[in-house]
Amino acid sequence: METSVLCRLNRTAKTYADKIAFKDSENALTFGEFNALTKAVGTCLAHKVPAGVPVTVMSGRHVYTPACYLGAVRAGCFYAPMDGDMPVTRLNQILGVIKAQIMIADRAHLEKAQSLDFDGEIIVMEDILETQPDEALLAAREATLVNTAPLYVIFTSGSTGVPKGVITSHLSLMTYIDAVSKVLDINENDIHGNQSPLDYIAAIRDIYFPLTFGSSTYIIPKNEFAVPTALFETLNREKITALCWSVAGVELPAKLGAFDVLKPEYLKKLCFSGSVMPCKYLKIWQENLPDVLYVNQYGPTEATASCTYYVVKEKVDDDTVLPIGKPYDNYRVMLLTEDDKPVPDGETGEICVSGPILALGYYGNSDYTEKSFIQNPLNPNYRELIYKTGDLGSFAPDGTLLFHGRKDRQIKHLGHRIELGEIEEAARKIEGVIDCCSLYNKPKEHLYLFYTGTATSRDIVLAFRQNMPAFMVPRKLVNLDVLPTLPNGKLDMQTLKTYFK
Amino acid sequence: MKEELMQILEELRPDVDFANETALITNGVLDSFDIVALVGELNDAFDIEIKPNNLVPENFNSADAMLALIEKLQDE
Repeated sequence: METSVLCRLNRTAKTYADKIAFKDSENALTFGEFNALTKAVGTCLAHKVPAGVPVTVMSGRHVYTPACYLGAVRAGCFYAPMDGDMPVTRLNQILGVIKAQIMIADRAHLEKAQSLDFDGEIIVMEDILETQPDEALLAAREATLVNTAPLYVIFTSGSTGVPKGVITSHLSLMTYIDAVSKVLDINENDIHGNQSPLDYIAAIRDIYFPLTFGSSTYIIPKNEFAVPTALFETLNREKITALCWSVAGVELPAKLGAFDVLKPEYLKKLCFSGSVMPCKYLKIWQENLPDVLYVNQYGPTEATASCTYYVVKEKVDDDTVLPIGKPYDNYRVMLLTEDDKPVPDGETGEICVSGPILALGYYGNSDYTEKSFIQNPLNPNYRELIYKTGDLGSFAPDGTLLFHGRKDRQIKHLGHRIELGEIEEAARKIEGVIDCCSLYNKPKEHLYLFYTGTATSRDIVLAFRQNMPAFMVPRKLVNLDVLPTLPNGKLDMQTLKTYFK
Repeated sequence: MKEELMQILEELRPDVDFANETALITNGVLDSFDIVALVGELNDAFDIEIKPNNLVPENFNSADAMLALIEKLQDE
């Protein structure tokens, strides 16, 4: 049994030494070169920090970023990736949670890194890539790893206003990669087109498929997603065969009419996840690319970004609602009622998941971890943790899982998971905002902020742009004299929804 | 027409200096989601149909370029 993802990297680096592992618009790295870089970064880190500590990585969309991640692992550490394009406030929040002693920043993000509330050491990526590898030291660090050790900490929106760091182990990651690759039939001939930001959970497939199977990943430049024809030209030029994209990313080219101009000629597999797929866009993909394998994936970051999958065999219509299907290998899914009882056949309950894919919890937040990862209430006999997703589902008679939305105020917007409570927390901190309520108009994909106070909508958007990731900036602002309430004093969200247009 | 365009842009992204920016796409000032929102708004406001072939950086890098595109599409 593999003790860490390094077993996989060691294997592919040998078998596929001269094959391309990662490529971006400027550079390409073979498995041999990639492996050498991880050893250089790992050696540098191992001389500075002990095994078992976090290493933050703030680096751009290029081939050296995954090398830094795996370099941290070679040092016996785990990585906490940060998107350097995020506002300083957000990055400082992440640093406040992870409390790392060391950060790797590429030169393009160095100035920003130096402006953060970080008193550890910042090392410049470009300066350490040629470090002479210390094989004995690296072997000793690799030997410290067990498969339940943390591999990475990835941050997601938290309703209290502070992002939560979800910790994933080597075992969880490898379990998921093996399960999803079986469904998608990933092999050494595949070329993946990376859409997800590299610091985001959805990128794990683009990083770990190559390291597991010897396939390759092309990191697509971000601005090509604004130019759909260029995007498809890239897919064809790079002969991309497999895409694991957010639903929002899959919608884009269909929405902007890219298929009227050209088609991705080499594509064989498309896995989408992150939110509910509007089938009017999937239909456009199916009509143009009927032979592609389409897979709808569902699952939270806390279960290694996944849970269940559904292979779309039928031709969809505009109003088709896709099931979320059945559990991946090594995932167990069950439904619970509000009072933690089993759900009668066919009825709706909260989707709960267990298995080796469960996250190790939220970094530095044992209270929240204990609240979210609980003993299976149906099992009095031995220790079995489950994660309550907050999502609602029901089983169809054939055992297929159907999705019925959220229990709480978490939404999926532009492929990202957002707590509306976090938007409100951020808005209340803005001068001139007294009270507020954030709601989501799902059909239009508009994030609303209703607020009272003297701030102008410009003030608010500017403050958000400065402090929050772009996907969390409200698109529609409504200034009210008073927020409507129900007789019991709670906010009247239904009245607020009448402002949707 | 320019005023209407500037108003749409200002509402979409009040943090961007549309009067002076000349590399909105090339430099990634506007992202893909801004473009999707913008295309919808421009189509409605100016009664045009922006086609995928029009979605190139040269047509969206500045407010003036967008204005030229709108005028061209209105003539068609």
